[in-house]
Amino acid sequence: MKDSSPSNSPSPFLPFSLSPLRELLFPLIAVVAAFLVGGIIVWMVGDSPLLVYELFFSSVFGSLDGIGYTLFYATPLIFTGLAVAVAFKCGLLNIGAEGQLTMAAFATAWVGLTLPHTNPYLVTLLAMMAAVVVGGLWSGIPGVLKAKFGAHEVITTIMMNFIAVGIVTYLTQYYYKRQGDPILETLPIAELKDGALVGPHLPRMHALLAPLGINFPERLPLNIAFLLALLMCVLVYVFLWKTKWGYELRAVGISGTAAEYGGISITRNIILAMLISGGLAGMVGINEVLGYRYRYYDGFSASYGFTGIAVALLGRNHPVGVFFAALLFGALNRSSLFIDIFTDNVSKDWVVILQAIIILFVACEAVFRGGAKRLLGGKV
Amino acid sequence: MMKKLLLITVIFAALILPGCKIGASDAASGKLRVGIVFDIGGKDDKSFNAAAWEGVKRAAQEFPIKLRDVEPGEPTSIEPSMRAFAERGYDLIIGVGFAQAPIMMQVAKDYPNIHFAIIDGAIEAPNVASLLFKEQEGSFLVGYIAGKTTKSDRIGFVGGMDIPLIHKFETGYEEGAKYANPKIQVFQNYVGINDSAWNNPGKGKELAKAQIERGADIIFQAAGNSGLGVFDAAEETNKLAIGVDANQNWVKPGFILTSMMKRIDVAVYNTVRDLVAGKFVGGVHMNGLENDGVGYALDNYNRPLLPQTVLDDVERVKKEIIAGKIKVTDAMAK
Repeated sequence: MKDSSPSNSPSPFLPFSLSPLRELLFPLIAVVAAFLVGGIIVWMVGDSPLLVYELFFSSVFGSLDGIGYTLFYATPLIFTGLAVAVAFKCGLLNIGAEGQLTMAAFATAWVGLTLPHTNPYLVTLLAMMAAVVVGGLWSGIPGVLKAKFGAHEVITTIMMNFIAVGIVTYLTQYYYKRQGDPILETLPIAELKDGALVGPHLPRMHALLAPLGINFPERLPLNIAFLLALLMCVLVYVFLWKTKWGYELRAVGISGTAAEYGGISITRNIILAMLISGGLAGMVGINEVLGYRYRYYDGFSASYGFTGIAVALLGRNHPVGVFFAALLFGALNRSSLFIDIFTDNVSKDWVVILQAIIILFVACEAVFRGGAKRLLGGKV
Repeated sequence: MMKKLLLITVIFAALILPGCKIGASDAASGKLRVGIVFDIGGKDDKSFNAAAWEGVKRAAQEFPIKLRDVEPGEPTSIEPSMRAFAERGYDLIIGVGFAQAPIMMQVAKDYPNIHFAIIDGAIEAPNVASLLFKEQEGSFLVGYIAGKTTKSDRIGFVGGMDIPLIHKFETGYEEGAKYANPKIQVFQNYVGINDSAWNNPGKGKELAKAQIERGADIIFQAAGNSGLGVFDAAEETNKLAIGVDANQNWVKPGFILTSMMKRIDVAVYNTVRDLVAGKFVGGVHMNGLENDGVGYALDNYNRPLLPQTVLDDVERVKKEIIAGKIKVTDAMAK
């Protein structure tokens, strides 16, 4: 009864299952096709597609800065991608990750600002927990509304995004800002004193790799939260496919009524899925507040919550897929400004177009499957 | 089917290849390279960013430099934009706006061999030129003009973001108006408290209309893109507005009394000129009335609105400020 392979479960988009390799094939085709179409767009606006490709690769792989920033940008997308994926496995569309991570990031900073820094390690740990708990609770509310009253989670989660931004902006502006600071941000939770960062924070990769003799530049904000993201990929996989709870959650996602007939509670699993989803989204706050800016900062999220939906879609709601999709989107994010700056006509929105094309290709996969079947004589 | 694929590939290659010039890298030219990172408002705000853009463009025409610009669009893109220039070894990176100061402080430390310039921010580093302005002095002059011109003895001020930098405009304006006309009443409103306040013309228009309803007949805006809404309100109700940063008299001819000019263009131009001449100096570069860093705009668009007596008076006031006989409050120095 208990299935262990991710590929045995039907994809939510397709009524049949695929082998792992083939699961990878279509997203890959989508990406390559998007790059080709993107090239045509570049050519149409009067720049050289090869220059743009060169800028993409050199900005991402050309230096440690490139690799570091790509992984740093991928980190929040892994969290939000997983968040969307977990909810999706339970048949829910959590488009409120943006609000959840906003609340969580503020909570992280709040813990750092409120608790005394006698033991910074303990405060760091508590701040991390605050991110997860607050993110989870913020998405738990729509979870309860859905499970108990049938309020559609798409409506409630997106509305709660606005509430989250409102609350956090208010608190930052009137209670946690440095007097006269023109920028909407809280006081710092950790500050540089004599060249060392004092206060609760997560060490950057620089500190982690230095003992191994690797000179990773200190300026790169890549931090331990990236490793946490990797760990979450593993944990989500284990939870969804190796535990009873994950099985129940997925069963509700595939067919609620059938699951209920088998004795699985729909209500409980919807709430559980939303709690986990929000907790994962909340971890973005850990990366941002404890690993990068050491404060809550208005507008810190470059739509991570919404990009997470695309990441989950491209990653087929599987942790491994989410990881690679987040890397790709991180790389696109990293290269976008290089492409904007060092070409004459292409703007950074080219990357947004590329993302849209990728999603489009993934979404109309069935059409491609038909074409591919004809092309290769029915072998796919 | 394979034939079709081949055909598509050939067409695609034929489309792409002519457009290619590989290795057209900026570095090859041997010119000094200058990068400018705009504020959220973007370079077409006809005001603050436009003035900076004007300055670098003029410098690029006169000096052999390679100029690249970027409009980050959202706050999170500012740091990567600045670092993109730094990573590619640009010689001078100009940051437009105070919001970039904390970021530039960090980036300038990471890249000590690159020159930086920041507008409206003060950064203590040998490789950063901080371009600051005495906005209160220019605002005093336009306030004085407003005080002499108003018929209702009521004038207004619409600020962008409610921050000390914009309070400098407001206090200078109010002091100037009161100096010209002691019984004047000055209304003031701000569009908002975060970055979006610079980019909300609708709200700017609403605030201006509310002030006009209370009797104001001249409104000074220091609100970036939101200020364009103030101009709309003035045009619709047949009142006057005062522009800011750049000379905005041309935006709504006949409805703009004058503009408080903050010569960001000159400051930026001078910075590039110094760099090209090898005379780049870090530290604070203060621009006030004495070096024409701020002032009021007079051109064919607004000359009909300003009688010669007012112009004579305002020139006298200007000299007195420079001489220190009139003290203008710097709202940020408190």
